[in-house]
Amino acid sequence: MSKARFGALVAAVSLLVAGTVPVAAQDAEIPESIKVGAVVPLTGPFAGGGAQVERGYRYAIDAINEAGGVYVEEYGTSLPLELDLRDDESDPNRTTAILEDLNGEGVVAYLGGFGSPLHAAGTVIAEKNQIPYMGVATALQALHENGYRYYFSPFPKSPDIAVSVFEMLNALLPEGERPTRVGIFQESTDWGEELGAAWTEQAPNYGYEVVFHEKYTPGTTDFSDLIFKAQEAGVQALLSLPTPPDGFALFKQMGELGWKPEFSLVVRAADVPTWNDLGDVGDGVFLSAGWHPALGFEGIEPMNQRHIDEQGRPADPVVGGSYSLVQILADSIERAGTLDREAIRDAMAATDLDTVAGHITFREDGTSPIENPLMQRQDGAVQLIWPAEAATAEIRYPANE
Amino acid sequence: MRRNVSVAAWFVLLAVCIVLPFSSEDSQVLTIAIQTFILTALASSWNIIGGFAGQISLGHAAFFGMGTIITRELWLSGAPLPLSLAAAIVATALFALIIGVPMLRFRGIYFSIGTLALAVAISLTIGNLFPGITSMPVEALRAYTFTDPYFLALGAAVTTVAVAMLLRRSVVGLGMMAVRDDEAAAGAVGVDVLAHKLAAFAISAALAALAGGAFAFFSVSYYPSYPFTAVWSFETILVTFVGGIGTIVGPIAGSAFFVIGRDTIAANFEGFQVIGFGVLFIVVVLLVPGGMVEGAQRIGAWVVKQGQGRKRDVEG
Amino acid sequence: MQLVIQSAISGLLIGGMYGLIALGLALAFGVLKVLNVAHGELVMLGGYVTFFLVAVVGLDPFLSMPLVFVATFGVGVLLYLVLFRFVVRFDIDTRIKNSLLISFGLVLILQALAVTFFTADERAIITDYSTAALTFESIRVPFIRLAGLLVAVALSVGLQQLLDRTTFGHAIKATSEDWALASLAGIDIRRVYLVAFAISAGLAGVAGTLIALGFSVSPSIGLGWTLKALIVVVLAGLGSIRGLIVAGMLLGLAEGLASVWLGGAYREIVALGAFLLVLLVRPQGLFGRRE
Repeated sequence: MSKARFGALVAAVSLLVAGTVPVAAQDAEIPESIKVGAVVPLTGPFAGGGAQVERGYRYAIDAINEAGGVYVEEYGTSLPLELDLRDDESDPNRTTAILEDLNGEGVVAYLGGFGSPLHAAGTVIAEKNQIPYMGVATALQALHENGYRYYFSPFPKSPDIAVSVFEMLNALLPEGERPTRVGIFQESTDWGEELGAAWTEQAPNYGYEVVFHEKYTPGTTDFSDLIFKAQEAGVQALLSLPTPPDGFALFKQMGELGWKPEFSLVVRAADVPTWNDLGDVGDGVFLSAGWHPALGFEGIEPMNQRHIDEQGRPADPVVGGSYSLVQILADSIERAGTLDREAIRDAMAATDLDTVAGHITFREDGTSPIENPLMQRQDGAVQLIWPAEAATAEIRYPANE
Repeated sequence: MRRNVSVAAWFVLLAVCIVLPFSSEDSQVLTIAIQTFILTALASSWNIIGGFAGQISLGHAAFFGMGTIITRELWLSGAPLPLSLAAAIVATALFALIIGVPMLRFRGIYFSIGTLALAVAISLTIGNLFPGITSMPVEALRAYTFTDPYFLALGAAVTTVAVAMLLRRSVVGLGMMAVRDDEAAAGAVGVDVLAHKLAAFAISAALAALAGGAFAFFSVSYYPSYPFTAVWSFETILVTFVGGIGTIVGPIAGSAFFVIGRDTIAANFEGFQVIGFGVLFIVVVLLVPGGMVEGAQRIGAWVVKQGQGRKRDVEG
Repeated sequence: MQLVIQSAISGLLIGGMYGLIALGLALAFGVLKVLNVAHGELVMLGGYVTFFLVAVVGLDPFLSMPLVFVATFGVGVLLYLVLFRFVVRFDIDTRIKNSLLISFGLVLILQALAVTFFTADERAIITDYSTAALTFESIRVPFIRLAGLLVAVALSVGLQQLLDRTTFGHAIKATSEDWALASLAGIDIRRVYLVAFAISAGLAGVAGTLIALGFSVSPSIGLGWTLKALIVVVLAGLGSIRGLIVAGMLLGLAEGLASVWLGGAYREIVALGAFLLVLLVRPQGLFGRRE
């Protein structure tokens, strides 16, 4: 037999043998990883918050993968989580397009970004594609009232925020000293309307009176008339929800015009670490950022330490929330035992888990019974003031002394 | 011979587009296609006022937005889609005629900035009046398929391109281009300058509203003020220039390039997509001011020249 | 009534800033016939340079202005040599269209670079005198705003003097009137273009200092300020340098009054409406020359 023929025979036999060996030990269908899709604003106006969201996702995924991954019963093995994270440029249209792309990539779940407009766009796509969608950094209650089954957001919502402010003030301040004259600077957006309405509704229940309530468009360059009218109305407690640019402009102008009320709540704008650029003008304001490392929940320590090592400061507010989403997702996959989206959704709805954001369960509308912590900026540091049991500092009140 | 080739090419393209949703279930592909169609329709419609009539309007998003909001509101309250679309188109065209009379008196940059200011004012007003997101009801979401929106978007694109083609060969179209090339001269030979500008403005507005209707039918959720934002005006102009302003193929080529390119870059070069895109645009503009159409012509001419050269070698 | 006066004054003061941003844009457009929509990004850049000079070196923001001017002037030189130099080869109409496109690409690039180098966080500057104000009968005129207006006026007057009194200024004026003729007359129009563009960038930078002082800086602020500047340029009327600060102040005044009388949500809308009304009545702008 010639060499060539012998070689061909050997090759043919090998192939035959290889082809018939039962591939028993390995199910040829086991995926290499669990694909999770995330759409986060890394550029554009929401990028500051988006950076925190991304950090939380990456930290959590690293931690879980280092501990061995997620056990999927269907394959009898643990698989690592693989994050496909894309920038939607703070543009809801891009959010939509990216989520469709990710659907095509076969992700098992969507992780959302930062800011209600982006989530509002995302949740609808998730509902259409029937993929579980998780998001933090959005307090828009209205998104949960559409009857969606696929939207999970363990984050304080407008009603929670409204209640927590008044509860805190009444608990920490004696009756004669409370800032009962309330002023609301309302952004003319859907969330602005929702939160403004929530504050207006709750105020009388706790003994507060709304004496000033006016709207402004995001991007306003001059708040002088709002400031003056509020001053004239004798506002003692300022409730606002500005974006960072608006918040910075507002407080600078309050400084220029010489008005600082006894109490200021600045939702959103004061969450960014660079609020400290404002110095005294911005100090003493309250934040409702949804989470704080001092809450002391299980698992915060190592995450916080990594943040300190890499960023030079304790974990930013949104990092905790987004970290917990990944924990919830991993737990849901394990309980589902499969990578089927529907099964994961059902398991997620039945979540009962201790995360870095506390003990999480979900109501039917996708919200969680979760307390809204309140913090105050004191000399540049973000101190946890409420709930009182976990407080890291005393409340500084009034802010204009 | 050449003419038949080009007609055949159009038909082939159309055939491919029609067949696509039946051959591919991939939501990614269909979404990109629909977004390309809508942008094509928008760009082709702008081409009529900007390319044919030479009036660089920076407020085109206002017409697009009007198309979306009228279609959406009527349709979601129960009116049949064709009726909603028709209402949107007619209302927008009327609006264009009304504001066109004062606006088109302005020339050059005054017109551009004037239209921009008007569009921004409208977009802010819509944002104030309609702050909440508009999303399809849950049942519609669960039953959503891409097929109908796809064909509506395709129809919008085809209609707009067809109108542009017809216009270009028509007397009215010639009049518009005369106004573009030299307004004073056109007026001197008896062309009613304002009437032609108004016609271009209204037609482009109507077609933009059609594109808007397609957007409203396709998008499961968005903020009502979003289609009114300046981003849409800029993207429209961008793709028209990049494709080749004043041509028929230009807006189509530019839109396809933009939508597909952006998605590809976004998927593969996370983080650099924005810079990459910026660089790409600059390069295209600097090297090929006539856009992709001019680029294609230059390549075509070069190829022909090569062929001729070789022929001469063989014969000589 | 007092509220109206206060709002009016605040509006006028902010308007000075609008005018300053418009100054650079008008210069670039007037001389080079180039529409640089990335002007706002140059303002942003100036803001960041100011921020670093103040935060790192500890310089007073007003004292940092000359340095900021030089820095953004340099960027302007770079941008001209790398990009806009090629645009000015075309005829006027093509120039405007192409510069619009190119500068839009530039917007994307500069924004993304800013996010990469500066992060997306909002940055602001506070000084010891940030809250200081002159008070007349409980009307407050914040010191920073007033100083900003004075800077804007000074730069506007300075620019006008440059154009009217210096040889180079005359060269600039000649080039903007008719570049072909100017070239024939022996003027090196390429140098004129380069310097004019660089000055426009420098002015943008200084405007950025005022923005960092009065508001905040982040990578995405550019387009918003460019839009304001465009409105002011057209409102003042093409070819008018002197009118820019006034036009800016009037825009600011319109915004302030709209806010007091109709509420914060209608501020910008009314101002834009007022702008359009003015254009209808005076199509060449407030101070422009009738064509």
